[in-house]
Amino acid sequence: MKVAYYPGCVAQESGKELDMATRWVARRVGIELVDFPNFSCCGSGFVDEANSVLNVALNARNLAIAERSNLDLLTVCSTCTGMLKLANVRLAEPAVRSRVDGALGQIGVTYRGTTKVKHLLEVLTDEIGTAALAKLVRRPLTGLKVGAFYGCHLLRPSKEIRGESAEEPHGFEDLIAALGATPVLYRGRVMCCGFPILFVKEPTANRIAATQIEDAHAHGADAMATPCPLCHISLDSYQNKAEKVVGHDLHMPVFHLPQLVGLALGATAEELGLPRHLVATDSALQKIGSVAVPA
Amino acid sequence: MAEANVAAPFEVFRFDPAHESAPRYQRYHLDLPPHTPLLTALLQIRAEQDPTLTMRYSCRSAICGSCAMVVNSKSRLACQTPIGPELERHGRIVVEPMRNMPVLRDLVVEMTPFWSRYKKVEPHLITDPTQPMPEGRENPMTPAQVERFKETPRCIACAACYSACPAVEADAQFPGPMALAKLYRFVVDPRDTAHQERLLRIQTDGLWLCLRCHLCTEACPKDVEPSLRIRDLKEMAVRAQGATDNGSRHAIAFKDNIRERGILNEMKLVRQTYSPGQLLAQVPQGLKIVRKKPEVLKSPHRIEGHDEVEKLYEILDDATEDPP
Amino acid sequence: MQRHDVLVVGAGLAGQRAALAAVEAGLDVGVVSKLHPLRSHSGAAQGGINAAVGKEDSVDTHIYDTVKGSDYLGDQDAIEFFCREAGPTVVEMEHFGTIFSRAEDGSLARRPFGGQGFPRTIYAADRTGLALLQALYEHLGTAGFTLYEEWDLTSVVVRDGRTQGIVAFDRRHGDFAAIGAKAVVIATGPAGRVYGRTTNAHSCTGDGIAAAYRAGAALKDMEFVQFHPTALLGSSILITEGARGEGGILKNAKGERFMSRYAPHVLDLASRDVVSRAIWTEVKEGRGFPGPYVHLELMHLGRERIESRLQEICDFCRTFAGVDPVTQPIPVMPAQHYMMGGISTTVRGETTVPGLFAAGEAACVSIHGANRLGGNSLLETLVFGKQAGLAAAAYCAKAPEATVGDTELETETERLRAMGERKDGESPETLRTEMQAAMDGLVGIYRDPRELDQALAAVRRLHGRYDRVRVVDQSKVYNINLTDAVETGHMLDLAEVIVAGAIARTESRGAHTRVDFPKRDDMNWMRHTMAHRGPDGPRLSYAPVGYTRWEPKERVY
Repeated sequence: MKVAYYPGCVAQESGKELDMATRWVARRVGIELVDFPNFSCCGSGFVDEANSVLNVALNARNLAIAERSNLDLLTVCSTCTGMLKLANVRLAEPAVRSRVDGALGQIGVTYRGTTKVKHLLEVLTDEIGTAALAKLVRRPLTGLKVGAFYGCHLLRPSKEIRGESAEEPHGFEDLIAALGATPVLYRGRVMCCGFPILFVKEPTANRIAATQIEDAHAHGADAMATPCPLCHISLDSYQNKAEKVVGHDLHMPVFHLPQLVGLALGATAEELGLPRHLVATDSALQKIGSVAVPA
Repeated sequence: MAEANVAAPFEVFRFDPAHESAPRYQRYHLDLPPHTPLLTALLQIRAEQDPTLTMRYSCRSAICGSCAMVVNSKSRLACQTPIGPELERHGRIVVEPMRNMPVLRDLVVEMTPFWSRYKKVEPHLITDPTQPMPEGRENPMTPAQVERFKETPRCIACAACYSACPAVEADAQFPGPMALAKLYRFVVDPRDTAHQERLLRIQTDGLWLCLRCHLCTEACPKDVEPSLRIRDLKEMAVRAQGATDNGSRHAIAFKDNIRERGILNEMKLVRQTYSPGQLLAQVPQGLKIVRKKPEVLKSPHRIEGHDEVEKLYEILDDATEDPP
Repeated sequence: MQRHDVLVVGAGLAGQRAALAAVEAGLDVGVVSKLHPLRSHSGAAQGGINAAVGKEDSVDTHIYDTVKGSDYLGDQDAIEFFCREAGPTVVEMEHFGTIFSRAEDGSLARRPFGGQGFPRTIYAADRTGLALLQALYEHLGTAGFTLYEEWDLTSVVVRDGRTQGIVAFDRRHGDFAAIGAKAVVIATGPAGRVYGRTTNAHSCTGDGIAAAYRAGAALKDMEFVQFHPTALLGSSILITEGARGEGGILKNAKGERFMSRYAPHVLDLASRDVVSRAIWTEVKEGRGFPGPYVHLELMHLGRERIESRLQEICDFCRTFAGVDPVTQPIPVMPAQHYMMGGISTTVRGETTVPGLFAAGEAACVSIHGANRLGGNSLLETLVFGKQAGLAAAAYCAKAPEATVGDTELETETERLRAMGERKDGESPETLRTEMQAAMDGLVGIYRDPRELDQALAAVRRLHGRYDRVRVVDQSKVYNINLTDAVETGHMLDLAEVIVAGAIARTESRGAHTRVDFPKRDDMNWMRHTMAHRGPDGPRLSYAPVGYTRWEPKERVY
């Protein structure tokens, strides 16, 4: 399959390991990623709060770029997914559509609304399918207990996103199981990581992250995995701050979704950018044995 | 109407703080049609098996807001939750009191924290005494003006949103979704004359602690969509008052940041959001991150077609207009 | 002991409006409510609130519609006052902040409602009660008064010929307390839960009506109970008339559109009592589904229309009955809906006991006489809530100090404690269920004298058994087992009054239909039933109907 690859800002910058892992996995499972150097930021929810119609217009332009090539749009970030899908929803309102069309017209862009937005998680579970994926596994992640952490914008608001169940999804857990690992269910898996208020009131954001990490831990998780690089920042890059808030170490490695898939398909830690994490992933890697690809 | 009964095992949170040192879960069993609302089942348990189980309830038709509780981890109205789907998904029904409020007994919680946050936003019309209302007749209000309330008048103050909210759980300064949705209702009411003051106050009273996680919107039994109205409040505040708080400063900074290159300049965003003093405090953490992820220090390249982005900003951001 | 000038019991629309009036008169006001005020049953009212304000409408037409609707049992002088107050009352609520639905020109939107010659029902989508309740609560929030939230009323104390206060228990802490007050306003709503099939909330157990009755106040017209034809089978959640208004059709088990036999012209849109009687007859004559119930069919209207114009009904059926009205018929049965009767009051809310006032559905002025029009009950709460508050305030200005004595508190407390100390006895749930079965089966839409006698005997037996009611829950905190027991006692008293009134009234009028006396008998029965508590049950007497201008006519629609 061929898709317009929308990496989002963080995957191109501080979250580069997400992009590395995505490209590695895409090659293995047969997804052709077409890069578009003219994609702009999805707004991350913040632009929406400052100027909603501008945010819709910027994303309408992004969607139109994919439309021109007749490709669906593949995201690797829960937040980008939510923002792009919400843009489609808001563009269905006549008042918004006419304003945005007017602005797009002045830059020679037409939005038709024909492009679908899909997160890599959805593509892996729905289009490629967990059975086909399981067949590609070269290093089953047996013995590793993984707590999925979906990221709010992949699931909600459910009326608009119309994806999996907003409070009781299971796609990611199905994927984890297909990779040979054991999915861990815990309340925090569909909750918030705190990222949106990291710059507003950091200790509260840290406390929220700590709550979800501790919840995963209490239910037996050796590691967490997330389809959102913003969640990854909060849970991994700021895990040390979360530890300060709760007063003890957390030691919870956090994988990006394609890193977990890559590990099971035979990638090395370097290929997946694991050394870039602030929380070492060694403890999880040890659980699944040698990281070298079996012959 | 003939629906076969299903076996329904319940695990219900019991706790009488006056007499017990710790909560416990008590098991009950009923055989019921799958469409039976949870409240009906609980009342049957009270009537037939255990009259000591206590809870709040009244209308049984999702209008009084009394029976909100946590059902298989979700904040819900008991009268509006049929047992069938819960049994299919979980095999049992675990019933607990609402979160974020202390337990009074069993499924009854002390709702004062919720009510006091509601009162704090001054949920009543504030009017200008020099502009009295029309005497002997109603204030005119067009259907379009009524439409602006969106679904906020449907709120029944059940507190399911408050129970589901991770920001409420983490920070006592956060007003919670219901109080903010109520504030929205007054900010868009043409009869209220305190819109600006309300927006100004709420910016420093925790508006920007909302995580926009939308768990409140999922929990709400009346489709009030509190998280979407909170989003509207944020935009109204930014447009009316600019950057008066970390939150509005960050949102505006982010918007301006994207304009330059089309994608986020991470380092610059940090500088735009924090004051010099705050920046200094961030240095140790910054160093930790930079060591692993040196890209943070580099400015990103401009995207292709950046002029298109710039033009969109000129058209839709530079001109001061009200949102559609 | 706590003390106030005015103590309002009940915090729905009537109670809150009374409290507001008393606070504005400068008095020290307490409000007692077994629920948080926003949980009150006022919030469940959907349809709207009547006020004749438009240029084509007139107050006189509203008065006439109400007089006729009451089947000429309503007091015409009171009705005239009521209808004149309607316009200013609605405007006041709008000024308080109520969000009403609007017409294009910015004025209040109006819609037609049953039994009225003109569309004068002002509404807020399909949740008018909730809209009014929110606005009044929020407006009242700026006023100073003491709220006793989640306190259960157990008695009104009368001594030296006047009101002294109440005894209640604080549900959260389990403490019994007396609250002294010169004036007490009862606004505790109806007692629909004497019936099993009722649209009322679980909290509607008539506590204030029973307390007033036990304290010596007269109750009026208690036998007049309004049934709503279409309540969901099982839960008795109301399916509003709008369903039939949009084209919904009632069918029996034989698939017949049976309304063609009872109202050949208007069919399913006949007035509530006509449709209720029709459904009941079908069921009694064996043409109902086993349950029993009949079908309300919407399927022929199509998915589009149902989901856009009948959204709420759609949600109700899917959520509460597991039925999708787009593809399936809705099982419905008539259910008790409103009580025209209550504590007898004047137009100023005064009961027959000095210092005791009443307003709202707990009271009977009488505005609705033998049958209530839709849209008049929301109006009644606000008009007479205000009147009762003002009258209570005026009374306070001249009343001596009021106290509830220690012995009065002790006696009450002992009576209730004994329920918790019994080692065996009757469960309040059992007594309640049996009472409800008797009322549902024997004191319904069609009243048969033998069945009424059976009902009276059943209620009396239950009364006897109630002496040994037992509360199992020993906790002091939020003991609703105790609440259940107290409520059941109240309801048994009121059930007896309802049945006694129905036995005595040998005519059919409005919502009261006797199979042995099918016609209205103005010669003998154009009078109010008054009930006082006696040692052997209710003592009935009769009072004239207030008359101003409208001669009684046959009530035909």
